[in-house]
Amino acid sequence: MSSSLNSNTEDRPENTPSAIDLASLALELVSETETSSLNCELRQPDIHVTGMNGALKRLPQFETSTPGLLGKAGFVPRWKPFWPKIKTFGVNFPAGIEFLPPKKQADEEEETRAIQVPAPKPPQEGEEARQPTRIKPPSNALSIEDRLFFLLQPPLESWLRGQELIIPFEPFPYQYQGIAWIFSQDSALLADEMGLGKTMQTITALRLLLRAGKVRRVLMVCPKPLIPNWQREFKTWAEEIPVTTVEGGGERRRMFWNMPGSLVLLCNYETVVRDFQSMPKEELPHFDMVVLDEAQRIKNRGSNTAATIHTIPRKRSLCLTGTPIENRAEEMISLFEFMKVIPPHSTPDVKQLSQLAEEFILRRTKDLVMKDMPPRLDRDEVIDLSPAQRQAYDYAEKEGIVQLNSMGDSITVQHVFELVLRLKQICNADPLTGESCKLERLVANMEEIAASGGKAILFSQWTKTLDWLQERTRQFGCLVYHGGVPTAKREPILTQFKNDPKSHLILMSYGTGAVGLNLQFAGYVFLYDRWWNPAIEDQAINRAHRIGVKTQVIVSRLICKNTIEERIDLVLREKRELFRRILGDGDNENSSLSLTASEIFGLFDLRARAGNKSKSIGPPKPKIDPAAA
Amino acid sequence: MTQANENRLHLGFLRVALTDQGYVGGLLVTNHLGRPLEFQCTTPVRANRTQQILYGPTLEPFIYSELIGKTLFERLAVKPHLLVIAQDNVLDVRRQIDIPVISLLEGNAGQDLPDHLRVGLGRQKFQLHQDFAEDLERMQKIQSRIPGEADMLEPLERVHDALKETLRAGAVA
Repeated sequence: MSSSLNSNTEDRPENTPSAIDLASLALELVSETETSSLNCELRQPDIHVTGMNGALKRLPQFETSTPGLLGKAGFVPRWKPFWPKIKTFGVNFPAGIEFLPPKKQADEEEETRAIQVPAPKPPQEGEEARQPTRIKPPSNALSIEDRLFFLLQPPLESWLRGQELIIPFEPFPYQYQGIAWIFSQDSALLADEMGLGKTMQTITALRLLLRAGKVRRVLMVCPKPLIPNWQREFKTWAEEIPVTTVEGGGERRRMFWNMPGSLVLLCNYETVVRDFQSMPKEELPHFDMVVLDEAQRIKNRGSNTAATIHTIPRKRSLCLTGTPIENRAEEMISLFEFMKVIPPHSTPDVKQLSQLAEEFILRRTKDLVMKDMPPRLDRDEVIDLSPAQRQAYDYAEKEGIVQLNSMGDSITVQHVFELVLRLKQICNADPLTGESCKLERLVANMEEIAASGGKAILFSQWTKTLDWLQERTRQFGCLVYHGGVPTAKREPILTQFKNDPKSHLILMSYGTGAVGLNLQFAGYVFLYDRWWNPAIEDQAINRAHRIGVKTQVIVSRLICKNTIEERIDLVLREKRELFRRILGDGDNENSSLSLTASEIFGLFDLRARAGNKSKSIGPPKPKIDPAAA
Repeated sequence: MTQANENRLHLGFLRVALTDQGYVGGLLVTNHLGRPLEFQCTTPVRANRTQQILYGPTLEPFIYSELIGKTLFERLAVKPHLLVIAQDNVLDVRRQIDIPVISLLEGNAGQDLPDHLRVGLGRQKFQLHQDFAEDLERMQKIQSRIPGEADMLEPLERVHDALKETLRAGAVA
């Protein structure tokens, strides 16, 4: 009892009754309860001897008061639900550029509607549904914000469909992968084999990067003949993106370089080099992304072009080429330096180059990704020279060899080269009489092709030959497309070739017509004379044999029997076979197939007199080491 | 500008997952084409033994909706016009926020639901919160902006991947 009382008093709040009240409470207890159990003493008051006790004997007067309650009755829970404050982590995405939908002309409306991206087809029975293509963060993206930026992008299929991309066909799976790869890489070299759609993948990736706010200013550098091609491709794949071609006089170009708000600047290598060299370093325009088409143009890093291109201020670098290595693995070093994946002037060894290639190069070949593409049928047409050609040829070869032999050790590859060119020209046509066995064969073939409504492309290395042929093939609606044709006139020629049903033949030079053109509606290709490098021939053939081709492409190589052409063909064929064995079927175009000096010498049995005997002339043949290759 | 704002449609995608480290939630806001605008995720949340006993079966709905869902929504700088979820027990987040919340109906689920609580969006069917029947009218405006072939669950996969990435990187631990 006592302890509970004490306990109550201890627990009482400060504003409860005071000590006086306690005293009165104690007195009440004294009068009403057993005192022995109380922890207090009761005594009789002492009476003083003087008798002054009257006052003491008066009855004490008590005043009563009502104390307040001690506290709330009942159980008061002390536990409250408590959760620590939750921490969050967030990522905000940059605002992308919003484009107005392209204006449609009334007469184009029907066509535009017809080529919109088709809705995904439900998988057929037994066919596996294709996994959507997600963008993966690059391996060198370290910050979580960067990684989430890529991870949270929608699958490309739904993204492109949502944008109502005007697109002639649904991209192939490998193209989706290529687009996703370009999107995520700050440094990239897309080295797909020709004809697999590098242009389309690049433009589409650019389009998405612009919309995602990742890039806002892009410089596209390409060889001059390909400027109209890129303009046309941008119009096809990304009509809403304004493309500014940097051309014209110096003042006008300076205005283009400094013009704010231009999203994509298109310029050729020569102009970029000239203009950037003339600008002070601090005034160089900055770009979010620089794309180099035919990037092998900067393979020699000691060259003026490479040195200048390397200085362009940029955040992202993309190289496009079907032939990342033309002769030596070291050619990639300059491209890697542009891509900023190696320090300037460094010299990585082959192993390091191989590691860099694995990370920063994406290369697919037709053999690997286009298994269902209509085949390309190669046909060697070996023809006998006409009598006049044979006579001219034999004479020129005999005289030429005698002349070369007489030069002894002072002979250079250039001398041999000149003879080869001379003989090849005779194979094309006799310079005196104009007789040409190749022309006869061509006309015979073309009559058949034209009768069936087909179209053919003919390649030669000489523009003079092309002009000469044009005069003799007018009956097939022949058109000419080579470096001598002004740039402004080239596009209309291609359009006419595509649309004019009477135009069955287009004559092209390897230099101008071999790269960047889409002529997949042509089912026939003639190689009127042979280029030194089969990779260039392949580039030419791939103008027709590329994505979108509906039928097989028949390639005819016109080769004159018992001539230099047969010997060149044999050497190239042996080299191609050797490289096929070393590099595998996946990489069937390697430009290091081009002839070396010793192989050019080897085309003739050149011997210099040494006393009574003779010795071979020319550099020794290198032994090919498969491991080194 | 005003017209552009009116035309904008922002969609929220919320996913909560139980991991070894506790409950984590992620909320992705996209535009109507699925392009990301903002992402927020929480640190892992753990319930102690007392909380588990006292909350009982209401623990998970409480964590999902009131703790994680509400917190994430409040943190957003870009507010969505609709919240899409694929977990029934997150649907109560609707009580905490003032936008429609729709929860995926898988397969033949929800056939016994009244019509005003069922809604189709893109390729999928969804359920509305039963106490907010007025959401159906708000949904009708949104429905017209979303193409019929749109996969409304795909962004939730992205949220899932992003949560895995943040946990792996320890960004929110």
